Amino acid sequence: MNDAPETGPPPRKVRSPGWHAIVIGASIMVVVILAALFAPLIAPHDPYAQSMLARFRPPSAEYWLGSDRFGRDTFSRILYGLRITLWTALASTVMAMVTGTAAGILSGYHGGRVDRWISAANDVLMSFPQMVAGIIIVALLGPGVTNLIIAIAITTFPAFYRMARSAALALRERDYIDACRVLGYSDLRIVSRHILPETMDDMIVIATLWLATAVRTESSLAFIGLGAPPPAATLGGLVREGFDNLLDFPGLAIWPSLAILVVMIGLNLMGDGLRDANDPRTSA
Amino acid sequence: MSVLDVDNLRTTLNLNGRACHVLRDVSFRVAEGETLAIVGESGCGKSMLAMSIMGLLPSVARITQGHVVLDGHALEKEPERAMEKIRGARIGMVFQEPMTALNPVFTVGAQISEPLRDHLGLSRRDAREAAIELMEKVRIPSAASRYTSYPHEFSGGMRQRVVIALAIACGPRLLIADEPTTALDVTVQRQLLDLLDHLQDEGRMGMLLITHNLAIVAGHADRVVVMYGGDVVESATVRDLFRNPAHPYARALLASLPRVDRDLSELASIPGRVPPLAGLPDGCRFKDRCPHAMDICEQMPPPTEMPGEAGHNVRCWLHVEGGEHAADG
Repeated sequence: MNDAPETGPPPRKVRSPGWHAIVIGASIMVVVILAALFAPLIAPHDPYAQSMLARFRPPSAEYWLGSDRFGRDTFSRILYGLRITLWTALASTVMAMVTGTAAGILSGYHGGRVDRWISAANDVLMSFPQMVAGIIIVALLGPGVTNLIIAIAITTFPAFYRMARSAALALRERDYIDACRVLGYSDLRIVSRHILPETMDDMIVIATLWLATAVRTESSLAFIGLGAPPPAATLGGLVREGFDNLLDFPGLAIWPSLAILVVMIGLNLMGDGLRDANDPRTSA
Repeated sequence: MSVLDVDNLRTTLNLNGRACHVLRDVSFRVAEGETLAIVGESGCGKSMLAMSIMGLLPSVARITQGHVVLDGHALEKEPERAMEKIRGARIGMVFQEPMTALNPVFTVGAQISEPLRDHLGLSRRDAREAAIELMEKVRIPSAASRYTSYPHEFSGGMRQRVVIALAIACGPRLLIADEPTTALDVTVQRQLLDLLDHLQDEGRMGMLLITHNLAIVAGHADRVVVMYGGDVVESATVRDLFRNPAHPYARALLASLPRVDRDLSELASIPGRVPPLAGLPDGCRFKDRCPHAMDICEQMPPPTEMPGEAGHNVRCWLHVEGGEHAADG
């Protein structure tokens, strides 16, 4: 960050290293999100309308991706499934980010006994594999979209907690934080104005990456029957429904799986790109 | 009237259950408009003293005796909430290291505005105007256009001016300058010290100038407190101290200054080193390095005496009438 030289050719525009990944990932996600948002306008059929005459249709002009055993249009159900899946992932990640960041900063900044207790609780949570923790929590809370969101948020919490805690721990030792104390700023002011904003870059990067994980967790839970209850369509739920007729009508499971794959690729590309762009070691 | 009155202050550090007094019976006063220099080697308790005054001691340290009185108001028992209102508003502080004392992600202007808004409750616009005025006051050239600059765009000396602007933003009664120019080169040092003198006169502030540079003391302080191992070993006017240092440590410090009129082939030094915090002796803390150490120095901390002129205090058994025999009763 030196002063720009007064003379010489203008500096070449430098693109951050994750640029291509961000653009591709973001484009995919824009399409996916628009599709989910405008599902009622795009979907050719009502995703819940059953028709005994139109069971197991192959892909055609009327049923673009075929229909399922109740004669429901698969393409429409995927569009509507995207809405629930994306909403679940977004809500749970935001919930985990807010609580994890708050707890992490409290732990790292305050230190001492508070830090030891919260860290211990977090370690217990982390010792469960994510799926197992998700299963236990959904089983305890019961099915339903809200409970699913809470379950995924709890399993994602440690990622944010650990990141925020280590950032706060490092920032706390900076001289300018001591200077803030000398200037008589309250802890609340120091944390909200001088510590929180500096952790946000990192938190947003990992939020993007964990969004992908949340989509996966939602799909996995739905696949083993712990997702949003039927007839609601979610991507994982659609795969599960299609699974019953996998050998005769593989399309029913394959199309929603592909949809999950596309969402995962989009989110991961974005997350990796943001991480590279944000990493001082790789930026130009 | 004194701005700051430190009376018999003792700060105790708890090291794994062992109490050690890092400040032992420290007393001094700073009058309005007066500069009191605190000198001593590293590790003699200068910074611990500053933190005791500010109420920002680490969790293992505690004030166990005495008072810190600011404008007739005792601070040592104040709750943290009340101290937050005093710090930054009525006590300002300038640090040693200007490169790291500013937050790199905020503009200089935003940082100078922050205490104005926090302590004085100024609106965003008023704070901006006041901040630019402050920047002019600390002689930052073209202040208005520098308002939106970031700290990395400033040189060390300019950053220290920003730190000074922050310290005096709310018109404090006391300014603590903890080695304010150690990290800067000599010409900038001179400018900044002159600036501090000027600001101090203007605001009638009391100033506590913590330094280990005796040249700065001679040029910019009114009185001096010499500290060693958490004790105030001598306090006097600058003139008095430089002419008749009474404590062996003060004498040795002055003798170690290179002088133009002496042979410079060999620099005088004080043998030994400052005792570590965990091993602070019970008696006189300088005894291990003192050429005049006696039995009594081992056994009891010396009392503070005033052997010569008024206002010239010494804490040494050499200056206690019949001190050599005090131990015998």
